[in-house]
Amino acid sequence: MGIGPSTKETSLHHFRDPLLDVISSDEELDLLGIIIVGTPDNQEEKMLVGTRAAVLAESMRADGAIISADGWGNSDVDYVNTVEQLTKRGIAVSGLKFVGTSGGFVVESPNLNAIVDINKSKGGTETCVLGENSVTELDARKAAAMLKLKMRRG
Amino acid sequence: MEEIRKRRLVIKAFHAETVREGQENRITRAREIEVAPESFAEKADHEMIEQIRIRLVHPDQYQEETNSIMDVIPISAKVLGEIGEGVTHTVTGAYVLLTGVDVDGIQTAEFGSSEGVIEEQIAWGKAGTPKRGDELILFEVTFCAGKGQDREAVTRAHALCDEFVQQYRECLKKLRGEQCTERREFYDIERPGRKKVVIVKQVAGQGAMYDMQLFAKEPSGMAGGRSIIDMGNMPLVVTPNEYRDGILRSMQ
Repeated sequence: MGIGPSTKETSLHHFRDPLLDVISSDEELDLLGIIIVGTPDNQEEKMLVGTRAAVLAESMRADGAIISADGWGNSDVDYVNTVEQLTKRGIAVSGLKFVGTSGGFVVESPNLNAIVDINKSKGGTETCVLGENSVTELDARKAAAMLKLKMRRG
Repeated sequence: MEEIRKRRLVIKAFHAETVREGQENRITRAREIEVAPESFAEKADHEMIEQIRIRLVHPDQYQEETNSIMDVIPISAKVLGEIGEGVTHTVTGAYVLLTGVDVDGIQTAEFGSSEGVIEEQIAWGKAGTPKRGDELILFEVTFCAGKGQDREAVTRAHALCDEFVQQYRECLKKLRGEQCTERREFYDIERPGRKKVVIVKQVAGQGAMYDMQLFAKEPSGMAGGRSIIDMGNMPLVVTPNEYRDGILRSMQ
């Protein structure tokens, strides 16, 4: 498992990413920046880069974080660790990820209570149709609303 | 408190009037895009890449077949300033699709591939895909046996495709800004007193077709950039304007 055609974000997607549009134009939010973090091969490095991302967010004094990933499977390990590390530092987290029927988290965590499933396909699978399950404006709005709710609850 | 506006980025779009085959890769002042199908044929080194062909697919040809689509790349060029501020020109209505397969028919993809009839293999009109009616410029790479899954060869294909796009960028830079068909203005904005948030983008970082290029000189470019793998997959921060100015180039 990894990144399939339906979930992968093309260069064009990054150029006009709905997640950035939604968050940066929301007048209730102060967007500090976008943290880009990779997904290494081995377990130790996975833990390291995600933890460093959380430390970075904490140092930026973030109240909240929206985490997005366009792959699934072994990259869930990275994702879940980063969510945990952020949560541990008192940062509210919501997220976007492909789940469907085949992309359920390969690791579980009680912190995954505000993750928007970006699946759009009927069968809930990787369809190999380019962009079919990629993040839309509506997905981004849901994740933003969930994050605001969590930040309000403190 | 009042919001604080910082760096300004202006993106000017130039809608492609016509896209047709020609002798060179260029954009005319009348916004006509010419594509020379064999212009990159000699760039094939026959060690990693066996063949390169550039193919136009007009909207009435969406029934044609394609190999797996590695990336969709907007033709954008920095006209003034660095990525994230100043002025960027971009083409709308025509996009470059990088596709890949090897000589034995193995598609270049990581997990599932998108080869087949173009009409059916694209979810049209998404953020990352062309919309119906757009002109498609396919940069079709045939890799040598087994090289379609080799990181060096795949990176080479991205770099050559970037060289191709650069030829259009050079023309795009010369188009007069006031003749754009659409203009958008963006600021990096600070909103004191509001809830402070970050976006965390987890991107690929494990190898061929699972990589991400950052910090190229041109929007959505390769040249001058570096890969997230080569940077140890470590987290780094970009501004909203850098991000929307194409500081990320997908290699997944």
